[in-house]
Parts: sequence; C-alpha cells; structure tokens
Amino acid sequence: MTTREDLEPLLLRLPHQEALRPSGGDLSFETAWEIRAFALAVAAYQSGQYDWPQFQQALIAAIQRWEESGQATPWRYYDRWLEALESLMTDAGVVSPVDVEDRTRTVLQTPRDAGHHRAHREPVAVDPARS
Amino acid sequence: MTTAETSPSPTASGVRSDEEIAARVKALEAMLIERGVMTTETVDRLADIYENEVGPHIGARVTARAWTDPAFKERLLADATSACAELGVGGLQGEDMVVVENTDAVHNVIVCTLCSCYPWPVLGLPPNWYKQPAYRSRIVRQPRTMLREDFGLEVPDSTEIRVWDSSSELRYWVLPQRPADTDGRSEEELAELVTRDSLIGVGQPLHPGREAR
Repeated sequence: MTTREDLEPLLLRLPHQEALRPSGGDLSFETAWEIRAFALAVAAYQSGQYDWPQFQQALIAAIQRWEESGQATPWRYYDRWLEALESLMTDAGVVSPVDVEDRTRTVLQTPRDAGHHRAHREPVAVDPARS
Repeated sequence: MTTAETSPSPTASGVRSDEEIAARVKALEAMLIERGVMTTETVDRLADIYENEVGPHIGARVTARAWTDPAFKERLLADATSACAELGVGGLQGEDMVVVENTDAVHNVIVCTLCSCYPWPVLGLPPNWYKQPAYRSRIVRQPRTMLREDFGLEVPDSTEIRVWDSSSELRYWVLPQRPADTDGRSEEELAELVTRDSLIGVGQPLHPGREAR
C-alpha cells in the first residue's frame, strides 16, 4: 500500500515545487479534480505505463508549451499535469486525443448524479428522542 | 478567476472551466480503467492519501466563524451558500448548500442515499465509507445504532437524530456544537478542533488540548 513517504521521492523530482506545495509543506489541492488527476498519473506510473522521469519530462514539456504560448491561459499547475498525463497515454497508444474529447463531451452531457436531482428538504429519517 | 481572456470558444488548448476540466479528468479516468491500466480502487487509495489536503479545513474555518460570530451563524443557517461565499468559499453553480445545526435536542447526520453527493467545496472529497452501500442504507434505518457501533459516537437518548439526504441539487452539512471550555479561544484555534467527521455528523469536534495533527 502506497504511503506519503513512498510518494515523496517521486514528487521531489517534479518541477515547480512551489505550485505543488503552496504552503511549503505537504501537497495541497484546490479542487477535487486536481487530486483525481494527481492520483491517475501516479497510478499509471505504478502500473508500468511509464518511468517516473518520463512523467517529469512530459510535465516540464507541457509547462514549456504553456510558456511559449505566451501564457495564453491562466497558470494552473494541474492543467499542465493533466496535459502531461494525456500526452504520455497518447504516446503509449492507450487513448487518443479524439477519444478523450468525445468522452469528455459525454460526461458533460450526462447529468451529474442522474436521477438524483430532486432536492430533499426534509430529513430522510428521524430517530426521536427517547426520554 | 481571471476574465482577461476573450477567446470566443474554449478549445482543447484554450481556457477550460472547472466543470469542463473536471469532466475531462473523469473521462480519462474512465478510459484508463476500462482499458485495464488501473483500477478504481488504486485511484481511490492514492487520492485518499491526500484527502485531508483538499478539504475539511475549509468547513472548519466556516464553523469556527459561526461559533464566534452569532450574526454570521444566523446567515449561515438561513442561506449557507451565500454565507460561505462571504468567506470566499464556493462551489459549482446550482449546488445549494444547507447547514443543519446540532443542539442538545437534535443531532444531525448527512448521507447521500443514492450515490455520493457531498458538499465537497466545504468538506473536500468524501471518505470512502461515505460512498459505500453499507453506510448509505444503514444510517437511514438505524442511525443511533450505527453512530454508536461504527463511529463510536454515543448520542444521548434525550437527543433526536435527523438524517439528511443530499442530492445533486441540495447538499447538507452539519454545524457541530462548540466544545465546552473553549471560551477565549481564537477563531483559528477553534477551527483546529473541527473534524471532518463532525461536519458529516458521525463525530464530535475535538476537545481543547486534543487538536488534530
């Protein structure tokens, strides 16, 4: 079972430590998708899809593309992280950019938690006081 | 959020909204799992390592404010979404939050009976047990017993237990009772006492001197 201690040597090799650890200490994430993207990249590495230096290089390259684009989009570390992961998975032939686009559209078109949109304004259960 | 960009249509390389990028991550995850690169369990376990880094400290901050500022507490209970927005805490559009207050007479606990709806902008990612069928069904049928047996939380018989079902339209979270003997504590010190479990309603805040980590 993977622990923080197992991950730390990997994480120390990544560029922009200040973006990984805004408060200087442990990693921190702003949104749920960031932590999910983080976990996907580590899981793909652990399953042998790539060596960690390959991920490191892909991330550096993604950041470089962003810089060369004139920084056209706001800086977000995990945007570049996701781009790095997608590029490695594309190179490995696991997914294609078109696949990812299509699937993303499907996800966006599927109502979140389908069938569970009604607001429940009363408690679903009450266990009354007994004394 | 910057609005400097005026590009008319976000493209693959353009500005993506949080919703779009969250969908993209979800899509990629689904494909990697289907294609045998990884399992859901692996991804969950890795995400769990850092689950506390994205989350309940925000709810803890809001709770500590409510404990120290009665007017804020009133606004929080009347309209949690906009009270949280006052503190810069927000979520996705259309996801209203309701805060239910614990008192001596009523203890509240939250669940999503169908899936795993959860007030994540405030509480971070749901713990795995929250998503399990065992919790989702039993907390509704036997709340008092489950709180005692599974979470070690003894709710006095004189206290009513209310279970609130979150949906994608309306997400609940619990305002726990301020621990005794905390007079004179600063808001920051109080926030240290608030645990994730106390915001779900399956635990109590820590007592002074037993701060988390």
